[in-house]
Amino acid sequence: MEKIEYDAVIIGGGLAGLMSAHEIASAGYKVALISKVFPTRSHSAAAEGGIAAYIPGNSDPNDNPDYMTYDTVKGGDYLVDQDAAELLSNRSGEIVMLLERWGALFNRQPDGRIAVRYFGGQTYPRTRFVGDKTGMALLHTLFERVSGLNVDFYNEWFALDLVTEDKRVAGIVAMQMKTMTPFFFKTKAVVIASGGMGMLYRHTTNSYINTGDGFGIALRAGAALKDPEFVQFHPTALYPSDILISEAARGEGAILKNNKGERFMAKYAPKKLDLAPRDIVSRAIITEIREGRGFPGGYVALDLTHLGEEYIKERLALAYEAAKNFAGVDAITEPIPVRPAQHYYMGGIDVDIKGRNPDIVGLFSAGEAACVSVHGANRLGSNSLLDTLVFGQETGRAVVEFLNSSPHEPTSNFEKEAEKIVDDAYKFVKSESGVHFGEILEKLRDVMWDYVGIFRDEGGLLNALSEISKLRGMISSMYVSDKSKVYNTEFFNALELRNMLDLATVIAKAALDRKESRGAHYRTDYPDRDDNNWLKHTIAYLRGNTVEITYKPVKITRWKPEPRVY
Amino acid sequence: MSENLQEQEVIFKIKRFNPEKGFWWQEYKLKVDRFTQFTEALRRIKSEQDPTLSYRASCHMAVCGSCGMKINGEPRLACKTLVLDVVKKYNSNIVTIEPMDYFRPIKDLIVDWDEFYDRMFKVKPRLYPSKEVLEGKAEHRLKPEDQKELWKFAQCIWCGLCVSACPSVRIDPEFLGPAAHAKGYRFLADPRDTITEERMKILIDSSWRCTYCYQCFNVCPRDIEPVTAIKKTRSFTKLYKEKSEVAERGEKHTEAIFESILKTGKIAEAAVYLKTYGILQSLVDLIYMSKTGKLKYALVQERYVQNIDEIKKIMGGESK
Repeated sequence: MEKIEYDAVIIGGGLAGLMSAHEIASAGYKVALISKVFPTRSHSAAAEGGIAAYIPGNSDPNDNPDYMTYDTVKGGDYLVDQDAAELLSNRSGEIVMLLERWGALFNRQPDGRIAVRYFGGQTYPRTRFVGDKTGMALLHTLFERVSGLNVDFYNEWFALDLVTEDKRVAGIVAMQMKTMTPFFFKTKAVVIASGGMGMLYRHTTNSYINTGDGFGIALRAGAALKDPEFVQFHPTALYPSDILISEAARGEGAILKNNKGERFMAKYAPKKLDLAPRDIVSRAIITEIREGRGFPGGYVALDLTHLGEEYIKERLALAYEAAKNFAGVDAITEPIPVRPAQHYYMGGIDVDIKGRNPDIVGLFSAGEAACVSVHGANRLGSNSLLDTLVFGQETGRAVVEFLNSSPHEPTSNFEKEAEKIVDDAYKFVKSESGVHFGEILEKLRDVMWDYVGIFRDEGGLLNALSEISKLRGMISSMYVSDKSKVYNTEFFNALELRNMLDLATVIAKAALDRKESRGAHYRTDYPDRDDNNWLKHTIAYLRGNTVEITYKPVKITRWKPEPRVY
Repeated sequence: MSENLQEQEVIFKIKRFNPEKGFWWQEYKLKVDRFTQFTEALRRIKSEQDPTLSYRASCHMAVCGSCGMKINGEPRLACKTLVLDVVKKYNSNIVTIEPMDYFRPIKDLIVDWDEFYDRMFKVKPRLYPSKEVLEGKAEHRLKPEDQKELWKFAQCIWCGLCVSACPSVRIDPEFLGPAAHAKGYRFLADPRDTITEERMKILIDSSWRCTYCYQCFNVCPRDIEPVTAIKKTRSFTKLYKEKSEVAERGEKHTEAIFESILKTGKIAEAAVYLKTYGILQSLVDLIYMSKTGKLKYALVQERYVQNIDEIKKIMGGESK
């Protein structure tokens, strides 16, 4: 097998991965970035509404970073590590200004400074935006910036598994998709920034590529996931194609209505109304639909007709376009049909505030793949773009520190392990007949949606665990019918499914064990938050077919838990 | 929203490829409704019928640029195209899907983009801000109207459809292509950038190699109008000192057309030709034309527009 050596290897070419790459390469280290798509195709591009930032001198005069931290902590239902949230708020203005300097085309105020809008759960408006394609604008800016540095891009390469030596990173095996050639990347540091996992769910706003590969790689290497039970559902996905209708729509004044024309959020969040956090709005919508106040097919109406054509087309261009193209609805004159869909994963690879994983020396993670934890039980809108950049940078800097301290040099001989990883990947799909990935995948997506979704209970979760376990058994007889030696997407889909099933097992078990409701994790059999027993992070390892769960305290600095009313 | 999903069975004829077998067509039947995007149809074909089918797709909302392909012969993003819209437009429930033109095929609908990326990187696609700003000692201000103008061209998603549709790219290796020009102009026009001279060197000669066929304008899924970016880039030629032969001739040609219309109300072909190419080259071409029997076209006596001053008055244009 070909071998190549780097100081650090990054898995994922979205905002978090690129930001880490920027920091490591700028410090003079040799860095490779492996992405299964060309970086601008990453899911960061799909982020719409904006990035939260307190910018001194260019924010609401009453606002300050502490309000931002408080909003984040409360929004996350107090499962947020408060030191992380403070860092996020304190660095927000700086990071947004950095992207501006690099050329990001933020919308402007008449005086030429960066403009601002409201988002859900914010005490004061602090979302900075580029129309409603903020993610795309920032991703292109950062990719273009990093492509001018000394970073080796391995685009359309698929990462298989980590190689470790005495619980230290020794390298990673990846395969070039075009030629199906495996490479061993020998390295001391690996940053997993591979994004989220929406494809586990029947309905998701995520890209097709979001199959949770990084979680599978980390779990198989023996690293833990933190808070894996926390899955966010976005309240306003376009019916029926699940394309995201940005929260910016409600931020700009759009109103949710049921089939009676009632502004139903008045019942569920009398103060914040349509701008309550996502978990609350999602459950409200599902409740309306279940109680017969939705529209046939299962959706509610998002009304922005009162905003006027010019405003809609300038500030909500994508929402307008999506409604028109994908639902045949002209949002200027009629409401947009929406329903909740999986949107974001608060859980992730267990890392500290510098992106370091405690289980494996040299393993780092950032962005949606990581759980710092800054979003706790529920992420506020416009905090994910901010998270990718702030913690992408922190993690990159931590990698530099790690490399500077001249750590242990991995032994040079890893051929056997690397070969075994490739054999395992092929073995697992080498049968001559059997089921193909699609059969298992479609079942998994239904099981997750039905039983590990917006509302959960013990019976459903037990059922999900047994179904997932069956599906996981089936993949040993999975059959890849395509024997092609170039760009064999069926092979890669099968590998993605392996990652998805490893992750699904952990999510369902952690959700079963957490006997309370907090943020996005809502148990109908335990409808209240239980701080006495459950104000703690879940730490989950996957050992073969067993999920081992321990707990870790939440870091509380200044904000004591209080009831979460909006 | 109407509840009628208009479910219907559609036959997908997909042009497939692998290096061992070469090209072949394969048919799949699938029931779709009026909201089914081509990406979703492909995903279902792959997961329900034929896992060997290969294509690229990511965001399914027209911002990532992965799923460019030809649908019923038209270059499209598969996600931005609804199956039943195509069925209705062509009045047939058989639709064809092929890989994008121009690029080398790798596997089924997946083509090789390497050369496309090379073109994009040639234009130095990133802002080069001043040292003060980069070090945080100064701050950019950007007028809302400038932001609006730049954002239009910054929305290129690197999907490659415009390049696959561009005839000039195929015949002129010196032409950077529409996507690279859109990207190049986005930075050329950015008041925050500091390498304008270098950008002009990269872009101006190439900008005069576009033939204004508007194919890029037609196929761009983000309505960038790369051809508009090219036009706007040409307007920088005046500021640029080291003009290439192509740029110089292009400028002359533009001036000749302007003058001709101003004077006569028409493009007087012969006069424009003479002005653009000069007497010597025109004489050489005249000999060629007489040999090929095309001289008669050059000698057509044109009738100019009458009352040109009246027209100028009505149009509100300035008269010299």
